[in-house]
Amino acid sequence: MTKAKEATTPVLRLTDVQKSFGSVHALKGVSLEINRGEVIGLIGENGAGKSTLLKILTGIYQPDKGTIAVNGSTVKFRNPRDSAAAGIGVVHQEQSLFTNLTVAENIAMNGAASKGYGTTFGFYRWGKLNKAAAQTLEIIGSKLNPKTRVGDLSFVDRQMVEIARAISVDTSKNATPLVILDEPTSLLERGETAILEREIRKLKDFGSVIFVSHRLDEIIRNCDRILVMRNGELVADRVTTTVTEDELFKLMVGHESHATAHERRARPANETPAIEVTGLTRKGKFNNVSLSVHSGRVTAIVGTSGSGREEFSRALFGAEKFDGGSIVLNGREARGWRIPKAVKRGMGFVPAERKVEGMVGGFTAAENIVLTHPGDAAFGPILKPWKRNKIAQQWFTTLDVRPNDIGQNLERFSGGNQQKVVLAKWLSDPELRVLVLDHPLRGLDPGAAETVNEQIKAACKKGAAVILLADTLEEALEMGDDVVVMRDGVISATYDLSVDNPSTLDLLERMV
Amino acid sequence: MATTKTSESTANVKVDTAAIRAREQVTARRVMFAGSGEPLALIGAMVVLIIIFSILNPRFATIENLQNVLNQASLPLIIGLGATLVILIGSIDLSVEGVMGAAGVAFVLLSANSRGGQDMGIWAWILPLALAAALGATSGLIYTMLRVPSFIVTLGMWFVGFGIATILYGTDAYPELTDDTVTLWAAKINFGLPNVFWVAAIFTVIVALVIRYTRFGRVALAVGNNEEIARSNGMPIIKNKIFIFIVAGLFSGLAGILATMQMGGTSNHIGDGYLFITIPAVVIGGTSLGGGKGGVFRTAIGVLLLTILNNGLVLAGVSPSYQSAVSGAILVVAIVAAAWPQRGRLRIAK
Repeated sequence: MTKAKEATTPVLRLTDVQKSFGSVHALKGVSLEINRGEVIGLIGENGAGKSTLLKILTGIYQPDKGTIAVNGSTVKFRNPRDSAAAGIGVVHQEQSLFTNLTVAENIAMNGAASKGYGTTFGFYRWGKLNKAAAQTLEIIGSKLNPKTRVGDLSFVDRQMVEIARAISVDTSKNATPLVILDEPTSLLERGETAILEREIRKLKDFGSVIFVSHRLDEIIRNCDRILVMRNGELVADRVTTTVTEDELFKLMVGHESHATAHERRARPANETPAIEVTGLTRKGKFNNVSLSVHSGRVTAIVGTSGSGREEFSRALFGAEKFDGGSIVLNGREARGWRIPKAVKRGMGFVPAERKVEGMVGGFTAAENIVLTHPGDAAFGPILKPWKRNKIAQQWFTTLDVRPNDIGQNLERFSGGNQQKVVLAKWLSDPELRVLVLDHPLRGLDPGAAETVNEQIKAACKKGAAVILLADTLEEALEMGDDVVVMRDGVISATYDLSVDNPSTLDLLERMV
Repeated sequence: MATTKTSESTANVKVDTAAIRAREQVTARRVMFAGSGEPLALIGAMVVLIIIFSILNPRFATIENLQNVLNQASLPLIIGLGATLVILIGSIDLSVEGVMGAAGVAFVLLSANSRGGQDMGIWAWILPLALAAALGATSGLIYTMLRVPSFIVTLGMWFVGFGIATILYGTDAYPELTDDTVTLWAAKINFGLPNVFWVAAIFTVIVALVIRYTRFGRVALAVGNNEEIARSNGMPIIKNKIFIFIVAGLFSGLAGILATMQMGGTSNHIGDGYLFITIPAVVIGGTSLGGGKGGVFRTAIGVLLLTILNNGLVLAGVSPSYQSAVSGAILVVAIVAAAWPQRGRLRIAK
């Protein structure tokens, strides 16, 4: 292939790619082209067909119809190895590294899949393997030791390993690798995101990138071109310089943003706070944390991952113990604090690990909704399934849960819709006093995030006090009445947003 | 607008890398201690036990008793090698005792024995081991192909193996090995230690090397850590699992043969009691039942610890009727202690 031709042939070309699952038409004929050195943003709501498209590109699914061409020649991916052999590497949304193996082994997984990379007749040659890994790491400017076990690395370093693995695909057929970043930032703290963004700019020098994210500002900041998917179709292909966040939102969701501003409620002078925490301490995690939240107000807590805010929020709900200090709910002290007591006293908790702690995966959505507060759906210990379905249906309509099937196993819903159900479980408590939310928007698309935020605001209006561990500083500033900054287990700053007006940089300074 | 955003994000990078590095150092330190501390604690516990038992009975700390302990530890260690591999991929093999019985009875009937019959020579080894491998392969195939939990499959195979042993054993008199070179071989001392211990030690080193240096071993670790990811990486998961169950069967079979040699004969009950010492030894050694973490040297430490415990209790004069209860209770305490550091977070034990 001549140089000139190489420069003009797209790295990847899809023509009329279709995929159905039973009666569901997940992809209705997608055609696209990606050129050398381009960073493509791919956005769309959950269920728009993004994941199906990515799974076809990585050989997990096979298309029903249509062709994939890499570097001008048509290819068929029967399995993940074929895709890696064609130079396509992925950084998965949920980190997909083997924590018990070394950095070098993890990086070699793609290469190892396609040929005897670092192994001879099934025997490992550690020297060769480590050297190859060190070279790959150098390309992305990382100085990690290839012999380190991945489990010992920080989150952002693991992300570096993921990127190194993605670019260590077989480049013999395709000199410019195509790296797919599938929501790589959804679990990162803000500073860590910046490191990743720097990496994306580096990747551009020698490969192409498909960047999937729900954070529209990130997409605009990093991408050359943005593809928008809705209902299994590509609905827009825009050059970044000509679009705004609002426009992208509208293209994705199909309507304008309905977000209402959070109605700030001034701190009442003579009212007992819904929750008052004094000097709460857990050795090595958080120390002497005091705060109070009145009914109808939101306190957002921000901090890095070592700040102790997660442990603190879990301790409030009785999910982890504390060594000293007190929690007072509506004027009554919480003693012998455990989750069942917290629930009885009108607390709710949306955990960050939704799949592990937030929901019962084997149950239907309806069963999950009435799990803690059955209301009319139970008479003492006896359940009344017919009432349960009515209650669940109401919540499904209010929260616009899709698909609208309350009898479906909750595991089968997308993350955003699962989160709506988890939230509904607590909102159905008529006596809800305090709602603790640990990263409620994690991994949610903008449409679902908007719904969840609206429900939080509605709960506030009905009198709940909310403690929010926000994903981003912007979210904290938008949703909070107060913003509390934690650093190394102690409160380093408190802002009352009805008086103060801190910028994200102010918050960041107090965080690190 | 665009330029301010970029400069802001670069500022963040600077601030945050420092914070991240500091955090990393803390984790690195913690991991170092967690990594090396655990086996050290076990060896420490072993030393404490040795001191206590030496005080209780001076006969405990003698060369003869050391040889005796290593002799006793050998078979659980050989079985433990297979059990470790199986547990590393996040499965479990309960069929140990049945496979031992089948291989043991087959071995004695194919060797020169008191019931007569023909001495098959080398085939007296090959056929029982092939039978054990076949039982392991069956477990592996049912487990992977029909997706039945390994717990259930191997529980069934335990009794299939035991049944085969019972059928082979028949109703005739207890078969004894008649060739003294065979019956005395296992306990014979070479280089200061019994032969059967050298067999166990050599296989331990081989399995450790296989885990460290072969794709087979690394894939097993990967599968134990996260099967989903292993699958999406195109690893040969099913092949790996079946092979591991075959290896586990072979080790159980070998243990059945060696036990028969030690006893000088066998019944279908030759494997009784071995499962109870093996699985706890693997777990106490620090191989996680969840898979992906551990190794055979850890298992060796676990086996030694439990063997010393049993041996010491006997020498200390604990009545045999109390022994089973005492060693059971100590086991539970040891496992609670081993799991204690991980109890922090809200975790559901099933």
